[in-house]
Formats: sequence, C-alpha cells, structure tokens
Amino acid sequence: MSAPASSSPVRPATTDEGPPAVAPGAAVEFRHVTVRYGGDRGGSQAAVDDLSLTVSPSEICVLVGPSGCGKTTTLRLMNRLVEPTIGQVLIDGQDVASLDPVLLRRRIGYVIQQIGLFPHQTIAENAGTVPRLLKWPAERIRRRVDELLALIGLDPARVRDRYPAQLSGGERQRVGVARALAAEPPLLLMDEPFGAVDPIVRERLQDEFLRLQRALGTTVLFVTHDVDEAIRLGTRVAVMRQGGRLAQYSPPAELLACPADEYVARFVGADRALKRLTLMAVGDLARESPPADGSAASHTMPTVSVAASARDALVAALTSPTRAAVVVDAAGRHLGVVTLHAIAAALAPQGAWVQTSSAGTPAGPGRAERGSTGGEG
Amino acid sequence: MAPNEPLVRWDWVLAHADEIWQRLLEHVTLTALAVGIGFALSFALALLIRRYRRLRDPILWAAGVLYTIPSLALFALLVPVTGLTPLTAEIGLVSYTLLILIRSILGGLQSVPVEVRETAVGMGYTAATLLWRVELPLAVPLIVGGLRVATVTTIGLVTVTALIGEGGFGYFILQGMQRFFSTPLIVGATLSVALAGLADGALVLAQRWATPWAHPRR
Repeated sequence: MSAPASSSPVRPATTDEGPPAVAPGAAVEFRHVTVRYGGDRGGSQAAVDDLSLTVSPSEICVLVGPSGCGKTTTLRLMNRLVEPTIGQVLIDGQDVASLDPVLLRRRIGYVIQQIGLFPHQTIAENAGTVPRLLKWPAERIRRRVDELLALIGLDPARVRDRYPAQLSGGERQRVGVARALAAEPPLLLMDEPFGAVDPIVRERLQDEFLRLQRALGTTVLFVTHDVDEAIRLGTRVAVMRQGGRLAQYSPPAELLACPADEYVARFVGADRALKRLTLMAVGDLARESPPADGSAASHTMPTVSVAASARDALVAALTSPTRAAVVVDAAGRHLGVVTLHAIAAALAPQGAWVQTSSAGTPAGPGRAERGSTGGEG
Repeated sequence: MAPNEPLVRWDWVLAHADEIWQRLLEHVTLTALAVGIGFALSFALALLIRRYRRLRDPILWAAGVLYTIPSLALFALLVPVTGLTPLTAEIGLVSYTLLILIRSILGGLQSVPVEVRETAVGMGYTAATLLWRVELPLAVPLIVGGLRVATVTTIGLVTVTALIGEGGFGYFILQGMQRFFSTPLIVGATLSVALAGLADGALVLAQRWATPWAHPRR
C-alpha cells in the first residue's frame, strides 16, 4: 500500500485513484422538462420551464433558488410525485415514466425537511421501512438497521427501540437520512433536509452527510434556498429563478468566479469573493518561508491550520500586523506563510469580461489586493 | 311510593341476583353488537368517503338525520316493521352510533401529518399499505375517542329498548316506574351508569395498549 497522497479537500487528487469498479450512483438527466399545474396549455404559469440538466453518477447536484422557483417540483419529478407536462426524466438512461412508480420510489431515497418519521414505529422499524417494503428477510433487515444507525453515529442499542418523539431534532434528522439510505439506493433526493435544525447542528449534519456521501458514492439531488449550503455541498449547483428556469449550472467555484448574469451574481451574494475563499485550501496558498527565527514578529503572527479554508487564513492575516499568517500542521509545525497578497492573487478573476466592474482589462493581482487592503485600512 | 319504604331494599337485590346477572349479559350483548356493527358500517362508509369525496356530505347528512330522530319515536316506527325483537332494538342502536363513529374515523385519518403521508408515498408505499400500516395506526387515538362516546351513549340508550321488550338494566328501570317501586329503578340506573364507566375505562386501557408510541416511557 502506498502512502495516501495529500490532496486538497476540495479538488480531487490528480493522481488516478480510479472510481469503484461499479459506480454505486445513478446517472440522472432532465430533458427539456416543463411542468404546468392546472391545464397543460398556455394560460397557467410553468412551475418548471424547459429544464435540461444532467447529473453524473456519485455527484451531488444542488438545486438552489428563491421559493417558488420550482426546485422542489424538479426534485419530485424524479420519484414521480410530480409528472412532467412535457419532456423526459431519465434515471440511468431509462425514462421514469416507463417505470412502475411504487417500485421506482423504493429504489430512490427520499428525505424532506419535516422528516416524516412514522411516530408509531420505533427507530429500528422506521429505518427498516424500505427493506421491509422490499420484503427482505427479518434477520437481514435487523443487521442492516444496526449497521445504518452506527453509520449515522447513533448507538443502535440506545435508540433501536425508541420512538421518534424520544429523540432530539438532530437525531431524528439523522434517522431520516438512515431510513432513506436503508436499501442502498443509487439515488438520494433531499428537500431542504437540514433546514429545520439550528446552525451548529446543521453544520455538523452537513459534514456527516458529505462524509457519508463520499463513502457510499450515492448520486444526490439536493434542494435548498441557502446559497452557502449549496456551495458547501454541491459538486455542481443549479441556480433556478422564478418560473422554473435554470439560470446557471456550474461547479460552485465557477458559479462564484463567473456568474452567468446579473441575477446569479445577485443571488450568490455581494460577498461571493469571500465564499470562494471557503472553497480554497490554505495549503494551496501557502508560500515557503524561512522557519520561525525566534523574532518577535513571527511570535505575533497568527497561525492557521493547513486544513482550514482560505477564508480562515484571510481572517487571520487581516488581524496580523504583518498582513500574513503562519500555516501549521496538526502537530503545530511551521509549514509556510500565507499573505494577504497571495489570497488576493488567488481571487484574481479568470474570466475578466464577466466581471461588470472590470470589463476589458484583465485585473491583475495587485489591483485586487489594493482593493481588499484598502477596504481594511 | 310507600311512605316508610327505604330507597333501596337490599333483600330485593339479593333475591334478584340471578336476574340482575341475566340483564347484565343482555345489556352487554346489545351494546357490543350495536357498537360492533356500527363500527363496521362506519368504517366502510368512511373508506367510501375517502375514495369518493362527493359522498362525504350526503353520508354525513343521512347519519346526522338518523342521530336527531328521538329514540322513542324511532323504536315506535320500527315495531310495525320488525316487531318486538332484538333486531328492532339493534337497528335503532346502530343508527345512533353512525354519526359519531364516521366522524371520528374520518378525523383520525385526517390527523395523520402531511409529511408522514408524503414520505410514505415517496418511499414506495401503496395506497393499501399506507392505510393499514400508517394511517390507521396513527388514527387510533381519535377513533378510540369516538368509540368511547358511542359506547357510553349506547349503554344509556339500551335502557330505552325496555319499552320494546329488550332493555338490559332498562327492564328494572321500567319495572320501578310502573310499580312506583324505587329499588329496581335505582338498581337499574346505577348499574347502567357503572357499566358505562367500566366500558369507558376498558377502552382507555385498550388504547394505551394499542398506542405505546403516544406515551413512551422516557
């Protein structure tokens, strides 16, 4: 076994580790899908309007937009809780309209914000719902349920025989995810799953979800109205606008660096530069520097973990008199220095023409740095 | 009533122990049949209403009309048709349970949280499994609530059927009224009330047993 290549937590390692032999995630495609409620001609406004997008196996596609933009309708097209008026929805190349809706739904995990655990069933019964519908043998269901509960970080012995009302909100939300994953579905649909828990629990659930998704390789369609959540979780983010139209479908970094239009730029927020920094690793920005020479300056320099985001480094550097922070590893060893200059350079726009403020001349790092330090001083 | 007559003569009670037992069995049988048949009918009608929404108002209207007919008049109207038989008594008793039971079953099914139904359907429940495995179990508290009202009401109404030769404990009440003799009247009324209380308590216990999730030990 070779030593694991140290890679940025964001960007996949360039070394070809190769995907698992069988992709556990489904491929999903929307082909010119339009949904109109109440009559299929002209008069009614479309909930989804000529939507086309594809999701590759094991990706997390986040649908984000203001309420009424059709993101939930789009999600519910997948498991046929909503039928398209025009167009096709495909899972692994098969039109879902050709599949039995009940059997289709048993192959697709489904989590909603209100969770919808069955209050009259124990946690074990709740988690074993879909295996039971699929008529797995009781012993296999029992083993699977214990495995799932452990997977989502709950002690099976403690929660197995409890009722949902006896669990905390965060625990219930985890059980909701466990229930959706019970029969190892190739596709998971999540509709604002973390919307009802407090911010601290939400962040932990997001981390756990990402870890779980990477381990399982399930393809995920995720609906949220929260841009930060979309950027944090999405492999690709689909920004939707009123009337069910797709405004932009890009990886998060690209969405922040090159918003397709004014609407997307406004939607991702004026602080999108800061958001981009959350997607960059400190390790990628650090410069080699002479190790601490014991001078007072290096003592007063704040430190930042190599595993932190560039945004953490920015905060550290801004509060430092030298406008730089020391990058350290988990053991506190000096790895290098990250400067405000380096951070600003990383933010230099790649496609300058999309930036309304700097049309024509590509803005250099110096200009960007002046912008940010000027704002600080 | 004789001036020096005590309210209850215990020697009468002892002498009539066997008959009291018989009348208890009769009272319980009449009640159980009426509530049982009434529940079966109401359940079928509630499912029909769920399936065909338009039937809701006509069915509830009909059950409401039945409920408002004075019991004495209903029995008097039925006697020429079905005679002085238990059938006459049951027709009347059953019709008084319908409104309460249909409403409680519909209410119970409606009380199932939307998100529970939504996720159940989204995970691949069929309409039938959804009804039997999710909706009905969750409707139990409201349905039992309806059963308690129907049972207690029916136990009271059974006494009126003494007028058409049935009656359970109502027989004693009628006897006491006709003979100006307080003992059977009080015995009949007291036992009828006690039976209603017992039946109500039994249903409460049955519900606790059937819905352990509604009051879990922490």
